[in-house]
Amino acid sequence: MRVVIGEDNALLREGLVALLREHDIDVVAQAQDAPGLLRTLNAHKPDLAIVDVRMPPDFTDDGLRAAIQARRQRPELAVVVLSQYVEPAYTAELLASGEAGVGYLLKERVSEVREFLETIARVAAGGTALDREVITELVRAHSATPGGEDALAALTPREHEMLALMAEGRSNAAIARTMVVTQGAVEKHVSNVFAKLDIPQTNDAHRRVLAVLTFLRARTDG
Amino acid sequence: MAADDHPKAADRGLTLHVGLAALLGCVTTLIWGASSGTSNYYWPVWVWLGLGVILGLHVAVLIARRTPSNRRAIAVHAWLTGLLDLALVVVWLAAGDGTFWAGWPLLFLQALLAVHALIAFRHMLPPLGRQRELEQRVDELSRTRRGALDAQATQLRRIERDLHDGAQARLVALSLQLGRAEERLRDDPETAVLVRQAREEATAAIGELRSLARGIAPPILSDRGLAAAVEALAIRAPGEVTVSADPGPRAPVAIETAAYFVVAESLTNVAKHAPGASATVSIRRTNDDLIIEVTDDGPGGARSDGSGLTGLRRRVAALDGELKVTSPPGSGTTIHAELSCGS
Repeated sequence: MRVVIGEDNALLREGLVALLREHDIDVVAQAQDAPGLLRTLNAHKPDLAIVDVRMPPDFTDDGLRAAIQARRQRPELAVVVLSQYVEPAYTAELLASGEAGVGYLLKERVSEVREFLETIARVAAGGTALDREVITELVRAHSATPGGEDALAALTPREHEMLALMAEGRSNAAIARTMVVTQGAVEKHVSNVFAKLDIPQTNDAHRRVLAVLTFLRARTDG
Repeated sequence: MAADDHPKAADRGLTLHVGLAALLGCVTTLIWGASSGTSNYYWPVWVWLGLGVILGLHVAVLIARRTPSNRRAIAVHAWLTGLLDLALVVVWLAAGDGTFWAGWPLLFLQALLAVHALIAFRHMLPPLGRQRELEQRVDELSRTRRGALDAQATQLRRIERDLHDGAQARLVALSLQLGRAEERLRDDPETAVLVRQAREEATAAIGELRSLARGIAPPILSDRGLAAAVEALAIRAPGEVTVSADPGPRAPVAIETAAYFVVAESLTNVAKHAPGASATVSIRRTNDDLIIEVTDDGPGGARSDGSGLTGLRRRVAALDGELKVTSPPGSGTTIHAELSCGS
């Protein structure tokens, strides 16, 4: 896997590069600002870009905008966007920006090394990974809608956890490892969740993220 | 009705008085004409004077009764001074004396009236210099208050940015290093647990800093402006929210932040007090004014003295803006705020 990193903070950039190289991931180039990132992505054509949202020159959402622009030019580019805050509004923009895999994570998730490596591998392979915080925000909004509360209230705490892990785009095997249960138990839980929320069941992780997201946003988007 | 009847009766009394006085004066003049011919000294002038003074006193009493008590003394004083002035001039003319001896008493009477008037109206006519000074002070205070609020809002955003680039970034880097260390400690589970706990502490600190930063200034507001920030609020809101935001050119930071929090607090109130209601957010700019309106079709009857709305009203008032809450029971709630973007 060939990766380009866009991050203006030197400490974080170097940490990230070291982490990826330790795990035999080929970091082909690094960029420190949005225009530099676009140039680098054009020059190296990597499989995956890991991009910080806030970057020079404007220090607003330059990184996000650059990532979206790069995906329009090369729809096969997978992108993991890292940020110190999650904004559900940005999720929709990222998901709509291309066909390839996309991830939107809080920065501190990089410290959960194994999960992070799994996530970027999944996104590079075309999967979707949303931070559990995005799901928490949407679940909170959803629970407050009339009727939405009932559907979510029917879930057990265990199934709630499952919902968040599914939205992160994890496979059944990954969920089983995280929750320390067997894969068979996960499959049972997953079909329970789908049945209770009345979502068409699928075992494809990417489709599952979209299904959960669609369910959560169905009423909240009005 | 008594209040109406009373002046009418008094007016009739005055008319009768004028009639009687005129009659008496004319009768006296006729007697003078009949008794001694027109070439003689016209003594009835003194009768006319007496009648006039009594009539003047009558009018003074009427003025005293009709003037509000705070101006009664000066009104009666002015009337009596006028009456005395006239009497003095008439006496001087009637006496036919050459020198104008009435000058001094007239001057004294006017001076007395002027002093009385100055004392009576001193509250109504503040000295001009002081007033101008106060107006300048108010202008200056409004300008510096707006400046201070703008500076404060800008500084808060800078703090948010400093947190983002400083403490938060360092903590992320720290947790990343701890994560890498944890990976290398697979053969030493006891130490790995310690490192994991340290990493989780760092992550918790990052979370706390994040909620702190969001309370200061939501990043999307500084990143993308008011319209996008309000759209994002609508996405987060539980109910159906329609947004029509056209805030024009970017407003000063303090105004933008206040407008954002008006919408945020109003939508929170909708979720809390009118669950299931749909809401409409409208933001528009007319000249220098930013107009924010959040309307819902909930049950209405919102208490405008609730802590949330009071806080908003204070925030808006500090920027010389206005916040109105319309919430008749049964017909929804409208929060309307106007903020001036001019300096």
